[in-house]
Amino acid sequence: MSSLIEMRQISKLYPNGVLANDRVDFSVERGEIHALVGENGAGKTTLMKILYGMEAPTEGEIWLRGQRVHIRSPIDAIRQGIGMVHQNFMLIPSFTVAQNIVLGREPLDRGLVNYTEALRITEQLSKEYGLKVEADATIDSIPVGMRQRVEILKALHWGAEILILDEPTAVLTPQETRELFTAIRKLTERGKTVIFITHKLREVKEISDRVTVMRNGRVMGTLKTAEASETQIARMMVGREVFMVVDKPTVQRGEVVLQVRDLTHIAETGHVRLRNVSFNVYAGEILGVAGVEGNGQTELVEVLAGLRPATFGTAMVDGQSLLNHTPRKVRELGVSHIPEDRLTYGVALDANVAENTVVDRYYRPPFTRNGFLSVGFIMEFGNGLIRQFSIMAPDASVPVRALSGGNMQKVVVAREFSSQPRLLIAAQPTRGIDVGATEFVHQQLIQKRSEGCAILLVSADLNEVMSLSDRIVVMYNGAIVGVFPDAQKVTEEELGAYMLGLKKQDPTEMEAYL
Amino acid sequence: MKERRKQEWFEFARAVGTILAALLLGFIITLFVSKEPIAAYRAFLLGPLTRINRLGNWIEESITLTLVGLAICLVFRARQFSLAAEGQLYLGALVSGLVGLYFQLPALLHVSLAVIAAALVGFLWGLIPGLLKAYLDANEIVSTLMLNAIAIRIYNLILTYRLKPPEAGYTVSRYFYPTALLPRIVPETRITTAIFWAIAAVFIVYFLMYRTPFGYALRMTGANIRFAYYGGINTKRVIYLTMAISGIFAALAGAHLSMGIHQRVILNVSMGLGFEGIVVSLLARNNPLLIPVTALFYGYLRAGADIMERSSDVTRELVMVIQAVIILLVTAEGFLAFLQRQMRIRRGAELAEGKEAGDVI
Repeated sequence: MSSLIEMRQISKLYPNGVLANDRVDFSVERGEIHALVGENGAGKTTLMKILYGMEAPTEGEIWLRGQRVHIRSPIDAIRQGIGMVHQNFMLIPSFTVAQNIVLGREPLDRGLVNYTEALRITEQLSKEYGLKVEADATIDSIPVGMRQRVEILKALHWGAEILILDEPTAVLTPQETRELFTAIRKLTERGKTVIFITHKLREVKEISDRVTVMRNGRVMGTLKTAEASETQIARMMVGREVFMVVDKPTVQRGEVVLQVRDLTHIAETGHVRLRNVSFNVYAGEILGVAGVEGNGQTELVEVLAGLRPATFGTAMVDGQSLLNHTPRKVRELGVSHIPEDRLTYGVALDANVAENTVVDRYYRPPFTRNGFLSVGFIMEFGNGLIRQFSIMAPDASVPVRALSGGNMQKVVVAREFSSQPRLLIAAQPTRGIDVGATEFVHQQLIQKRSEGCAILLVSADLNEVMSLSDRIVVMYNGAIVGVFPDAQKVTEEELGAYMLGLKKQDPTEMEAYL
Repeated sequence: MKERRKQEWFEFARAVGTILAALLLGFIITLFVSKEPIAAYRAFLLGPLTRINRLGNWIEESITLTLVGLAICLVFRARQFSLAAEGQLYLGALVSGLVGLYFQLPALLHVSLAVIAAALVGFLWGLIPGLLKAYLDANEIVSTLMLNAIAIRIYNLILTYRLKPPEAGYTVSRYFYPTALLPRIVPETRITTAIFWAIAAVFIVYFLMYRTPFGYALRMTGANIRFAYYGGINTKRVIYLTMAISGIFAALAGAHLSMGIHQRVILNVSMGLGFEGIVVSLLARNNPLLIPVTALFYGYLRAGADIMERSSDVTRELVMVIQAVIILLVTAEGFLAFLQRQMRIRRGAELAEGKEAGDVI
């Protein structure tokens, strides 16, 4: 019997010359949960966009239920029973859940939308698949996890038999992830087929029946998940041994470097983004900040880095006030900052690598001497960093635009680590970069910690926070709601409960550990 | 390295191709509008070289275009958009004229004072929209256009009511004191020592951009202003200083017109030369070292158009069409970017053929 989906010899060459898929064979059986894994840029999303009709393959054939099909647009795909939930949700924020779910397939009553019927359909779908939603709430008032469930229900309402989920757990807390997995299993029990894109190997092991590994636009193989180990899959993804466990030497924590007291930030819109945040970071320690994104972490980092004003409170580095200074003054106090969005703040794409590595120090000797830029020295400096940080670039005179995401991040890391910081603020330091580069950044962070640098690590990746940090604080709704003095002794579930605001420590109780 | 050399060649070939395409189109248009198209187009293409005074006109115009081109180039590199050059040019012409008319000084000193006064007023006239942009977020296109209107009215007002001698039939000032005139260095032309300013200005702007910390800050602000700010660059200061420094060069172009070409203050001294700086800078892709080249090219087109207009039955409108075609082709980067992409796709395919399943990082 033939497979439900068969993609044969699919190639996709983008106009910019990138070969995103190279003669890919990919097949999915009816009723299975099929994980599609690979590093960023391995071609997973491209392959799925081809299946969903958003991209046209340069070559290759798609067979569905034993028949050759041509999927030219998402409309074709939906007609064939394929639904896709994207990383960025495609929902109308001001509409209610029910309105979004029936959008395009509205139940009509004499030409008008029958909203009561829409609510009923939503409730029924929700119950049938165990995906809990509030049918009458508007999208912008519900949490991210529920929005994702709405997306899935929308696809089901449109008659999807095959569901493609593009990195669905990236935005979820552990609890929400578990609920999602339960729902996915229920879907397959009812005969649906799920393709699950991810790069988290633990999830692959937990949820999938089979796994296809991609690297460099090619399929490296398809395995039965039960028979494959995480290390084996990782090796297929990266092409070499990967050390999954961070090896962290014990370091005596030193004096207080960063002291934050009652830090509060009220945005221009009037929203309170930070509420009386207080904590210390000590020399030689990594303080991890966990939390669902959008709970004040971004604001905390940007206020400390001099990119936003503080409304009130204090923050001192080595006893000197940090707040409401220009970014240059903050940097001169010994603060480095890896920004969470490297394309916005981290690099200038059209400037070359060397120019990108000196933006914080170009005006000082030896980069500027007697009022003139030491162009030769800057180039040499850039080349030195390329070697030291193993940045894949021919030399420092190439524009940063020519580098891959992981190497761009290495440029940022190289700049921020090479300024001998007292305090390093690392926001999402490994977001969107591949396993190899992630491993490298982690090693560098540990190295800095050993050198006695104080590190504030903000990450949406719980694994990252838990494996690197010495202490962990959890932020919820702009405030610190929990502190864990020993990162080794806390479980994901526990952190998750705090991240969702279900649990909260007493402020006086926390004080001793902040 | 080799890759970049190739890239530069492609850029060069692209520029030449653009020009040839535009000239061909110009000829086709001439075919339609002229009874003797060959002669007319010959006058256009070769005219500026036929007589020494015509050659002079071309070079004179190119000096002005180089200076305004540099002014625009600075602003564009910081990714701002200033139209202030026109007004600054008028004020530069006016202020150097005032010094030339009302001061009596030894020659070198007199010229220097006039030039410095012009530069200063250009700087200030650029500082205004710069500060407005940096601190009040006032749109620089609107503010510079308004400032142009003001500058030109001030120019006309002072010329008409203060500088014009009562007995004069035209609205012009007296001739400046000879000490305030730029020495002419080629006989039978109005090519003056301003040519050395233009050459020096090219290197000064290049040096400023690529060899000083300010230039670095300027280029980073242009490349990604948020990156520059995050890295500690005072981007507001970069914006207003860039617009002010740009004003110096535009005002120098004005000083060249009044002290070098006309030797007095005349009405309508510019007629949009300040805006031509945009074309010059765009053609040079905002590279200061290429600006004299594109200024010479564009100046040649303008000079040739003048001659064709006078010596054939084709009107000046034709050259405006050609100019417009060039600007269109240059700004229609999409077309050439498309060509480049085709090349890269071919290379990508080649790469894919021999690709090894090598390491990713």
